[in-house]
Amino acid sequence: MKAEDTELLKEFTPDQVKKLNEIIKKHKGKPGSLIPVLEEAQVCLEYLPVSVQKKIAAGLNLPLSRVYGVVTFYSFFTMTPRGKHTVRVCLGTACYVRGGKALTETLQKEFGVKEGETTPDRMFTLESVRCLGACGLGPVVVIDEDVHGRVKPAKIREILAQYN
Amino acid sequence: MAKLTIDDLKKIKEKVHKEMSLRDGDRRVKVTVHMGTCGIASGAKEVMDSLLQEIEAAGANDVFVTTSGCMGLCSREPLVTVEIINQEPIKYEYMNPNKMRQVFKRHILQGEIQTPFVLAKGSEVIK
Amino acid sequence: MKVLRAHLLICGGTGCQASGSPAVKKALLEALDKKKLTEEIKVVETGCNGFCALGPIMVVYPEGVIYINLKADDMPELVEEHLIKGRIVQRLLYREPTTDQIIPTMQDIPFFAHQELRVLKNRGLIDPEKIEEYIARDGYAGMAKALTEMTPEQIVQEVLDSGLRGRGGAGFPTGLKWKFASQSKSDVKYVLCNADEGDPGAFMDRSVLEADPHAVLEGMVIAAKAIGSSSGYIYCRAEYPLAIHRLNVAIDQAKQAGLLGKDILGTGFNFDLEIYQGAGAFVCGEETALMTSIEGKRGMPRPRPPFPAVAGLWQKPSILNNVETLANVGQIILRGSKWYSSVGTEKSKGTKVFALTGDVNNVGLVEVPMGTKLGTIVYDIGGGIPKGKKFKAAQLGGPSGGMIPIQHLNAPVDYEKVMELGAIMGSGGLIVMNEDKCAVDMARFFMDFCQDESCGKCTPCREGTKRMLEILTNITKGQGKEGDIELLEEMAGVIKNAALCGLGQTAPNPVLSTLRYFRKEYEDHIRNHRCSAAVCSAMFKSPCQHTCPIEMDIPAYIALIRAGRFEDAYKILLQTNPFPSVCGRVCDHKCQTKCRRGNMDEPIAIKFLKRFITDNAPRPKIGPVEVSRKEKIAVIGAGPAGLTAARDLAQRGYKVTVFEELPKAGGMLAWGIPSYRLPRNILEGEIDDVRALGVEIKLNTRVGKDITFAKLEKEFDYVYLATGAHKSQKMGVPGEDLKNVFGGVEFLRDFNADEEKWMKGKKSLGKKVVVIGGGNSAIDAARVALRLGSEVTILYRRLKQDMPAAEEEIKAAEEEGIKIDLLVAPLKIDGTKGKVSSITCQRMKLGDFDNSGRKRPVAVEGSEFTLDVDAVIAAIGQVPDMSFLDAKKGVGVNKWDCFEVGKVYKSGTANPRYFAGGDAATGPDTVIAAIGAGHQAADDIDAAIRQANGEPAYEKPAKEKIDVPLEIDEETVEAPQMAMPEMHHDARKTSFVEVELGFKPEDAIKEACRCLRCDASV
Repeated sequence: MKAEDTELLKEFTPDQVKKLNEIIKKHKGKPGSLIPVLEEAQVCLEYLPVSVQKKIAAGLNLPLSRVYGVVTFYSFFTMTPRGKHTVRVCLGTACYVRGGKALTETLQKEFGVKEGETTPDRMFTLESVRCLGACGLGPVVVIDEDVHGRVKPAKIREILAQYN
Repeated sequence: MAKLTIDDLKKIKEKVHKEMSLRDGDRRVKVTVHMGTCGIASGAKEVMDSLLQEIEAAGANDVFVTTSGCMGLCSREPLVTVEIINQEPIKYEYMNPNKMRQVFKRHILQGEIQTPFVLAKGSEVIK
Repeated sequence: MKVLRAHLLICGGTGCQASGSPAVKKALLEALDKKKLTEEIKVVETGCNGFCALGPIMVVYPEGVIYINLKADDMPELVEEHLIKGRIVQRLLYREPTTDQIIPTMQDIPFFAHQELRVLKNRGLIDPEKIEEYIARDGYAGMAKALTEMTPEQIVQEVLDSGLRGRGGAGFPTGLKWKFASQSKSDVKYVLCNADEGDPGAFMDRSVLEADPHAVLEGMVIAAKAIGSSSGYIYCRAEYPLAIHRLNVAIDQAKQAGLLGKDILGTGFNFDLEIYQGAGAFVCGEETALMTSIEGKRGMPRPRPPFPAVAGLWQKPSILNNVETLANVGQIILRGSKWYSSVGTEKSKGTKVFALTGDVNNVGLVEVPMGTKLGTIVYDIGGGIPKGKKFKAAQLGGPSGGMIPIQHLNAPVDYEKVMELGAIMGSGGLIVMNEDKCAVDMARFFMDFCQDESCGKCTPCREGTKRMLEILTNITKGQGKEGDIELLEEMAGVIKNAALCGLGQTAPNPVLSTLRYFRKEYEDHIRNHRCSAAVCSAMFKSPCQHTCPIEMDIPAYIALIRAGRFEDAYKILLQTNPFPSVCGRVCDHKCQTKCRRGNMDEPIAIKFLKRFITDNAPRPKIGPVEVSRKEKIAVIGAGPAGLTAARDLAQRGYKVTVFEELPKAGGMLAWGIPSYRLPRNILEGEIDDVRALGVEIKLNTRVGKDITFAKLEKEFDYVYLATGAHKSQKMGVPGEDLKNVFGGVEFLRDFNADEEKWMKGKKSLGKKVVVIGGGNSAIDAARVALRLGSEVTILYRRLKQDMPAAEEEIKAAEEEGIKIDLLVAPLKIDGTKGKVSSITCQRMKLGDFDNSGRKRPVAVEGSEFTLDVDAVIAAIGQVPDMSFLDAKKGVGVNKWDCFEVGKVYKSGTANPRYFAGGDAATGPDTVIAAIGAGHQAADDIDAAIRQANGEPAYEKPAKEKIDVPLEIDEETVEAPQMAMPEMHHDARKTSFVEVELGFKPEDAIKEACRCLRCDASV
């Protein structure tokens, strides 16, 4: 492991850093390889902080500004860690009055994070969302792509248990 | 697979036609589970799993299972086509594992079409 | 030895286990134990019976009775009923499915029958992961032909001749694109496939890639040969994992089989390709942005020229084709350009694949010849709009496209026509929208999308979309202002002209298209703060209240029912509606069509609950209001519009006199609606309350005859004309003047005036009666005729779902034994001795769509037939009777014989002393609309008076404060609307007693609990 990887090792495991090195090596020299490298790196590292971008920029012999520009342009890339699962609580009016707010509070307590944040174990990212139009099912929680309707605070743990 | 020539394309065509028309001896029934993203989202994978389990449990080695893409009518997914040798294909709609089990036991094994779940018989016409 | 009297065989197969047989078994054993039956009845768990979908199932021997869909809760009942009392539990019984049920063929199903499969010819038939199955259906045969028998020029020519145009949306001729690229000189050229399908609601390309990936590969090899390329990319969005997987499998198989890579099919031609995954940017669907993205940069578009055919990917000549375009190519080469261009329209050849979604019954993938009517796609293939809602528009082309509204259902869908109508073909997303969608909100939604996806390179798009979104958002929040529409139009023009790429240039399209067809909705949002679709919730408390023409506070009175406070609920009703017990019976309840509960199961029974209040709470006492103002007001016509205006004006201190020509007040409520729907005493009670305020109603007084206009003008300062629409429209067929041919409303009026003679048979319709028409008055006339002992048939020229009458009325008429003959129109009426004896009719069939979105009836030649009849009632519509009016008064009447209003005031006529409203101004409309018109007139007349006097505007006195409780169930359980108890139809046939019996208190409270309380503010 090279000295320049020390910064990376603060956030990632040696195994992840090794993989990143391999990804860069695999694509090095191919034209237009930046986006595939970033895609693969994100799959492996889950997010792309500046330290990773620096590493990729150096590896592909590109200016950091170019890497940063691409990372911020495409919605697929993220610079902050995200959970493995995204939990979105509908806070449209109908869900709100049927307990959406209580649900958010329960989730915040359960996860120990605020809206927009990710749990320390990087399992869940908590978000809120505008009306999903499923008002009759309110309150609604969307986990990844699955819509869960009529969720009671008491039931939320049971639902979350399906995701690991 | 070896590199093909133009002649090979024709041969493959004939061979597959034979296979697909179910006259290949030990294949009596062909079941197609339609598995586009829409089908999978509405549960085609679970339907497929239950079918495979039933086939294994029954030791029905004359039933041949395949998949294909979306049939077009996404709102009636999951869709399953059952084709018994010398009979018109039957398309089942809104399938679930239990309906699949029932279709397997009563239609595929005993030959009774499960009309309440049927969308239609036959195939689309290509002009 | 133990003697067992019964065996219970409970299925323990996988299916039944999964649907809960263990719990059922446990409950069964408990129930048997409780009844001490374990000694005589044995429970056996059996293997699968093959009724897995009906499970858990149980067979009871010795009888062999099969029970299905069992639940643990059913067990005590089953044990009690069957095993103790020996009675079979019917509701759990298995019934043999009818064996004679006919299974339709695929061609019997309109969804499939109207399609023509070319791109999708392999759908559902091949395994996309098996190259042999593709080859077996002529796969790669087109490519073989192109590589062995054709020169690049011939390929380009064939594609040019076919007329194939880019299916990604712009419709540029594919052959031409190839020609340009083939003429560019370069050692390296690229063939690119655009699979970055990003429009919300579009999934054609995904389906093609998933179902038939080799078709795309084949098209790319042919394109490569045509332009002289040896490498290519498929740019596919990362959100399509299955498509990418299947493409990868297909590419691997094709490479192994020598159908891709070096020396394809031994011809010496080389072409290799790889997949490039998009990283989530809508703009990358634009060709230059896509190429920039493959180069590994921010996917921003580049200015053209140079065009990609000259300098594309890495500055090399490139062609970019959409998935669907490429999937067509193999067949064009194999079957020839003539075959390809044999379907389609003059300039748009071949077929188009649409992703049909939105408010349509059959959601799915549809391939039709270019030029297929929009209506065919929506109604025949799509199966129409769910829940009987009305079609509003189809959105084509996603955020770059536009809406095609109801009046263009006959439009042939091809590039030219779609463009002419203000949309674009786009990649094929076709989103059907019903009447519950708001045009402004949809425009805002798409602008939000474009604004979010704007790459930011050029100012017009970056800033323009943001500003337009702000304006649209303000309008949907009720904060729009005059001039906003013009500003939107101006900015749209600038962005269209000045933006760098397609995304920006087309971003204003949804706004322009909605402004073109739904400008009124924009104006309504800005000026009246009304969203007719009840979508823009910032402008209202609840959709029901917003939809009600008089904005009754529906959630409040429903909440008060729930709380058992019926008297308070009644007070709420009277705040806006002087006729709540009438409306509780005969209102067309538009509120219920927008009830959010309807999205979940069924709407709240708002109308019935309103009636419940008036049936079950004492009517609040009404005393006279002191006359405090000097102006006197005359109202002509004692219908709901006139009486509402009179009541409001009296409450404001005016002396009001109502003139009514007929001997009873109530207008259509008294003379049109039969008493079995609206008992007379109920109506009279509410009219008496208007009198109680001090309003004088002069009956039997025709203005212009019994009192002259001159006298009227001398005694009164202002006149409100609310004379209704009491004259039946003529059918325009010979024999209409014969005896016993009635107009619908004339018949009902005569019956109500002379009820005794009719009832005693002194007046009679005869044995056989035919009613013509499909509206409420046709149904009313028919049901009255039936009650007078006639045999009644309704003739209607369209389908039942097209009848304007209320659905429940049609159903009630049929239950009572009235026959409805559809697709029939009258031709002539014959008579003997001046009295009708027969009617000759003609059958109709359905033709094109009309402006209302219904299929227009067209006569079937030679289908004439004659019915012997004793009476004909023509109820095809009503018009106002203007014969009383003095033309010199200068009150304008339009071509439909209705008062022309909107002069200065909404109800103002050209003569400032005369106001008009209700059916007489709008043509036949509903009771609630008439009440609304009455309120409007009172506001207008009062405002006119105050303005003339230089007084400040009227301030409504504070309403009595009624505290409305907010009680909401934590959990909402699906439950249908409470049914209205009715008198049995046999008893109804000879009686004019009210048919609907009204809710009991417990039912009403239960129904009120279903309300989702959309009004609750956070």
